[in-house]
Amino acid sequence: MNGALDVATAALLVIGGLFCVVGGIGLHRFPDFYQRTHAASVTDTAGAGLMLLGLMFQGGVSMVTLKLILVLAFLLFTSPAIAHALVKAAHGHGLALELEVSDDDANPPAGTSESGGGGE
Amino acid sequence: MLLLLAAAWLSWSGPYTLDGWMIPLFGLASCLFVWRLYLALDREAGGDREFFHPAAWLRLPRFLVVLVFRVAMANFHVVRLIFAPKSALHPRLRRVPASQETAFGQVLYANFITLTPGTITLDLRNDELLVYALDEESEADVVDGSMDRDVLRLEGRSS
Repeated sequence: MNGALDVATAALLVIGGLFCVVGGIGLHRFPDFYQRTHAASVTDTAGAGLMLLGLMFQGGVSMVTLKLILVLAFLLFTSPAIAHALVKAAHGHGLALELEVSDDDANPPAGTSESGGGGE
Repeated sequence: MLLLLAAAWLSWSGPYTLDGWMIPLFGLASCLFVWRLYLALDREAGGDREFFHPAAWLRLPRFLVVLVFRVAMANFHVVRLIFAPKSALHPRLRRVPASQETAFGQVLYANFITLTPGTITLDLRNDELLVYALDEESEADVVDGSMDRDVLRLEGRSS
């Protein structure tokens, strides 16, 4: 029983870690700021979520698990708030959006532009 | 609310710290302080409480299951995009209606969209969300309104 739980924890930690790494890779591969925020949200949800779930298996039904659930709940509220604040701030200060489709009058699509501006 | 805060403090500090007198006193003080902040914020917000009726709490588990499912699917899609060539990205900006009646419901919907990888809410005004998405597939659930209905169902407005 304990062995199975340990295996589940290990598997979830590794998979969560993989999602974090993939999110990091995406952070580098995506061409502009706005798209990079999307990659970061993979780390936030899948990475952190799976790792916390794995740790909950170790905690069992206890105070520790309750705290982990609370950590997850706070994360689910704060990470979209932060992502929204980042993107809105960038947008408000006029960082150009490269769009192919747009319903917003203020931001017409810039044609089918392929160059993403290398960044670093 | 005060009881909730006290329970939260107890769960963080652990019941074993209740032995002396000083730490419980600090705990009580911090609970009262946060409660005071909460009352001030609530007054500021005009008390938008309609959302928290008991029936909504009963519908919460189902909403959480839907949320986890949608976030998981979106994660796989974005991971696929990360390893795809850059031409697979078709960034787009769309206006979508947020038909929730309470302000809380609309904010919840906006947060739901932002939490889902591949889509981010840029702005919320006049009951409309400005949603930025990576490509057509990641915005599909937002554009066809199914995520909107998920939140509506939690709010209890539609079946």
